Amino acid sequence: MPTEAPDNAPQNAPVLEVQDLSLRFKGAPANIVDGLSFAVRPGETLCIVGESGCGKSVTALSLMGLLPRGVARVMSGTAIFGGQDLLALPQRALADLRGDRISMIFQEPMTSLNPSYRIGDQIAEIVLRHRPVTRTQARARAQEMLERVKIPAASNRLDDYPHELSGGMRQRVMIAMALANDPVLLIADEPTTALDVTIQAQIIDLIEDLQKESGTALIMITHDLGVVAEIADRVCVMYAGRAVEEGPVAAIFDDPQHPYTIGLMSSVPSVGPRSGRLATIGGMVPAIDNMPDGCRFAPRCPFAGPRCDIAPPLAELGPSHRAACHYAPLESAFAEAAG
Amino acid sequence: MLSYIARRLVIAIPTLILVSIFVFVLQKLLPGDPALVLAGEERDPAVLEFIREKYRLNDPILYQYFSWMKAMLQGDLGISLRTNLPVTELIADKLPVTIQLAVMAMIIAFAIGIPAGILSAVRKGTAIDYIANFVALSGLSIPNFWLGIMLIMLVSVHLGWLPASGYESPFVDPLKSLQTMIMPAFVLGTALAATLMRHTRSAMLGVLKADYVRTARAKGLLENVVILKHAFRNALLPIVTLSALLFGELLAGAVLTEQIFTIPGFGKLIVDAVFTRDYAVVQGVVMCTAAGFILMNLIADVLYFLLNPRMRSSL
Repeated sequence: MPTEAPDNAPQNAPVLEVQDLSLRFKGAPANIVDGLSFAVRPGETLCIVGESGCGKSVTALSLMGLLPRGVARVMSGTAIFGGQDLLALPQRALADLRGDRISMIFQEPMTSLNPSYRIGDQIAEIVLRHRPVTRTQARARAQEMLERVKIPAASNRLDDYPHELSGGMRQRVMIAMALANDPVLLIADEPTTALDVTIQAQIIDLIEDLQKESGTALIMITHDLGVVAEIADRVCVMYAGRAVEEGPVAAIFDDPQHPYTIGLMSSVPSVGPRSGRLATIGGMVPAIDNMPDGCRFAPRCPFAGPRCDIAPPLAELGPSHRAACHYAPLESAFAEAAG
Repeated sequence: MLSYIARRLVIAIPTLILVSIFVFVLQKLLPGDPALVLAGEERDPAVLEFIREKYRLNDPILYQYFSWMKAMLQGDLGISLRTNLPVTELIADKLPVTIQLAVMAMIIAFAIGIPAGILSAVRKGTAIDYIANFVALSGLSIPNFWLGIMLIMLVSVHLGWLPASGYESPFVDPLKSLQTMIMPAFVLGTALAATLMRHTRSAMLGVLKADYVRTARAKGLLENVVILKHAFRNALLPIVTLSALLFGELLAGAVLTEQIFTIPGFGKLIVDAVFTRDYAVVQGVVMCTAAGFILMNLIADVLYFLLNPRMRSSL
């Protein structure tokens, strides 16, 4: 597993640097995403992990400028991509980037392709939109992409309609489409959640292979820690709209510092003799109209104390490993308790 | 595809037979005796008897029905009691008028209803949406005859821009034909536009939420491509079905509108025939209308089929 921290190399300027992103649903009393910051470097895979409803998907949509109009809006923050702030770009300029420099694949392969058009045309369309090519060239590119995502008999599949393909095949088509213009950044929003387990592994392997091949930076949004362990370079753990811990994948798995991350890790079943019940994190994510003022995890946190009424900042714990907890690093907390 | 059409055509046959029975029986149940109408003021019993014999009104009812059906299958819809002209000739005379009116009304309905429906769906909840909905509701609520009379008063009487009534074949004088038909077509078209607008709006609202519309945006496609190519294409199915049915209704003739603008179409033909107990004409026109309606249904099915790749590959 590649765990070397690539941010030590100075030439590796981030592809995307998100600073202090806050999003809010219309009429909601609190931000659904609150002061979120993260960065992705070229060729790197950043996994954003968290329970459903913690703001992962809206974050991705906001970066793409795809937040549903009048439903959610950006309250603050910047997302610097290629020297431009994605959150401040006019729609037209953003549309020029979408599908070209930044691409996205979605959770629902069954419904994400247009049922009325042939898949070859749907892939060719994204090429024609962003590249000065002829229809024939775009179609050739579509076929090439279908081959790259390992769809058997690609040339015969170009004229298929989406309903003629299985879910896994459709997700391959979505990936082919997303990568058709060699984007610098690919955002994958739970791309395997809706698929069968065997297909999930194939799709994850495919994404990993294609990313290695093309050097695309990848933001993988998932709640599946197995996926994280397989492909992440860095992990950003989100809880109730905030980043609670961020660091290299090895640090997150071997030395989690935030109580939520610790809970998340221990709720994964492992192979081998079972020692008691699978750990769960008690309680539920606070509702948006009932967000604690301080640490948002405090109501469920076994370590919570009076200090937690004040929101903890993301504090540097080690090389590019940060956690938002007053008690981190835990060693010092234990020392404190002992002393 | 062909087998699909063939199957639909076969299904249409019992429907037509059922319609013919209804038409025939209802006519017999109507109060009034055509022989009396024909015999005029004197009502000489000998004349009455002669008329009844001539038109086979004394035959058993089943016999009458089957002889009517037999003639109809040979393309003979009988002779009009009132004008003594073959019914087929009357229909052939009026049908083009009604078709012209229906086509013009549909064009007006499409031109207004579909863009308004798309716009109000895309701008849902904005002033444009509310205005479009208000206008559509008004269009549905305002009776055709009232709008027709108002238009005649304003455009023909006060402004003198267009003739208030009459008809001219487009093959004889296209401009005059357009002038005489534009007002009635507008009256019919606006009412249909309101229906079309409401259906387009709701179909578009459903489709705009679809994941593939989000995919289209994620591809960087421009908003008008997203809306027209990716969303509207999928909203078309219900609109096509509705349009075919609306057109079928138009073919049945717009009784009030034709009456107001004195257009010699189907609607006027059937009203006159009913009032004069012109059995053969009523039967012929209703059968013709029913056949037209069934045909439009078939066309709707075929279009549905052509527009929906999932159905296409299921056969």
